[in-house]
Amino acid sequence: MPQIKIYQEDEIPSPMRRFWHAFLDNPFAFAGLWTVICFLLLALFGPLIAPYAPEQQDPHALLLAPSWDASGTVEHFLGTDDLGRDIFSRLLHGAHLTFGLALGIVLASLVLGFIIGSISGMMKGLKSSILSHLLDALLSIPSLLMAILVVAVMGPGLENVFWAVGIALTPQFVRAIHQAIHEELQKEYVTAARLDGANQFQIFWYVIMPNIWDTLIIQTTLGISAAILDIAALGFLNLGAQAPSPEWGAMVSQGMDNLLTAPWTVTIPGIAILCCVLSINLVGDGLRSALSPLNN
Amino acid sequence: MARYLLRRMNLFVATSLVLLAVLFIATHHFPVEIRFALTGIHAPTVEQIAQIDRDYRLESNQLGQFIGYLQQRVTGNLGVSATSQQPVIDELAAVLPASFELAIVAAVLALLFGIPLGILASMSKNKITQHTIMTITLTGYSIPVFWLGLTLSLWFGVQLGWLPISGQLNLLYEIDPITGFVLIDTLLSDSPYADSAFIDALQHIILPAVTLAVLPFTVVVRSTRSAIISIMDKTYIKAAEARGLHTSHIVLRHALPNALIPVLKSLGLMLGTFASYAMIVEVIFSWPGVGAWLVSGIYQRDYTVIQGGVLAVALIIIFLSIMIEVLHTAINPLSRKELYAAN
Repeated sequence: MPQIKIYQEDEIPSPMRRFWHAFLDNPFAFAGLWTVICFLLLALFGPLIAPYAPEQQDPHALLLAPSWDASGTVEHFLGTDDLGRDIFSRLLHGAHLTFGLALGIVLASLVLGFIIGSISGMMKGLKSSILSHLLDALLSIPSLLMAILVVAVMGPGLENVFWAVGIALTPQFVRAIHQAIHEELQKEYVTAARLDGANQFQIFWYVIMPNIWDTLIIQTTLGISAAILDIAALGFLNLGAQAPSPEWGAMVSQGMDNLLTAPWTVTIPGIAILCCVLSINLVGDGLRSALSPLNN
Repeated sequence: MARYLLRRMNLFVATSLVLLAVLFIATHHFPVEIRFALTGIHAPTVEQIAQIDRDYRLESNQLGQFIGYLQQRVTGNLGVSATSQQPVIDELAAVLPASFELAIVAAVLALLFGIPLGILASMSKNKITQHTIMTITLTGYSIPVFWLGLTLSLWFGVQLGWLPISGQLNLLYEIDPITGFVLIDTLLSDSPYADSAFIDALQHIILPAVTLAVLPFTVVVRSTRSAIISIMDKTYIKAAEARGLHTSHIVLRHALPNALIPVLKSLGLMLGTFASYAMIVEVIFSWPGVGAWLVSGIYQRDYTVIQGGVLAVALIIIFLSIMIEVLHTAINPLSRKELYAAN
């Protein structure tokens, strides 16, 4: 039965609402969002539900296979490593380190990059060019090389990963925000606002900002997935988190010694990293495709 | 165009200067004696100390020291390696070709498979095909490269025993380095085992190259797909369709050349990540390239090797990304128009 319209005007959904509906239409992105929320909860409350302490060694259960294997037990759901440490508990504790640290790094470099990027984007001429090219030089140093430099100066350790990955990520945010602002500044609605007598700050905050939120959000999701991969890679190379730490990349490198006899010590942390990064990328991809019809 | 090239040259020089300044500051913060960090000489004699002080102008102020540092580095004096006491520049020359070989093979693989798959993904009307390709590429984009390398070597190297998993060439073959690229050297070599050495080198490069190719492959597929989709809506494609041209002709002759321009751009943006991945792959597969050399340098706290390696890799990346930008401008008239308008 056709719906009878009583009122003349249609309800026009706000851009935010349309964006949300477009996002919901993509089942992969929505699944990714739920996974990200799960990982977020695990990063916060993982240590509370972990059955064992991350460094607790069980001498009676060395290199125990995961529970679905014939020789595994349910007490150690995902098996144990060569020191008898429960992999499931270590993963839960590691979520805090890998995922939580990645979020922290991205937040810090986002704030810094946002400030520098908006200043350099709003400025014109030589000053802006110097500021943005200065960071281009940093952008050309790959994150791993940056980490090697930081480790050479400060020594290995998880806190130095913060600096290494942060220094490598910040220029990307600066560049993205600089370019987004620069592009918006060329458009006519900004000129219109300027003719209305808006000052620089008003143009930046009330005119341009609402239009670059999407760039910012997409860049953040990209940054988080890059940060997780970098933290894990540094842990794997022994330049980041050190040996007993349950950071996921460090867990892979600790499992390397038993790769042939106990491949699950490498496979399981690797799958955890993959799931985490994949879910974030799914959300990022969904956001991008949900935003693009709005832009066109 | 000449003015544009000049500006890019300027950018290269300026960026390199900033890079050297970063290295200079880092060198002064290394937790060792400054002369050792600069030259790598363990226990310098009195004459050597005087020579180092003169070369690096250690008596003058910071700016003077930086100029001295610049002079030494630009003239190719990277010091000696603290562990092997060999000049760093010679070691660098020995390891760079292996890295280039790996990177080139991986890039060729990625382009060879990525572009056709990207076209296929954009042309396919089937939702399942599209979703499968996008899911595979997104997974490839998210996979941690060290884990992928380990898993591949566990499967194909150990359990199936098909492919060798470490090094560049079986130690039994004695091939004199001519170009430094083992694949070419084995072909050029006049040893009686040259052919089997070539096959062996080929087998050695498969696993590392495939592992490294995953990232550029996914980037190429995704950017080719989105570029072709956006181009197929253009009016000139509609005009070609209206003229009754065959779809394959339209895609290959009209759409693809224009679609490759954004692909080139996304490849340029990926260079830094690609270099990081290449270093990790080299470590996993014991590939004797600059990445493995640099990582062993950091394990041994070989400060001259760290400086030399970081400088070389970053300079190569700066150079390549500027080259890609120049190429992008050269083949894309639209960006040239923007350029002239700005000036």
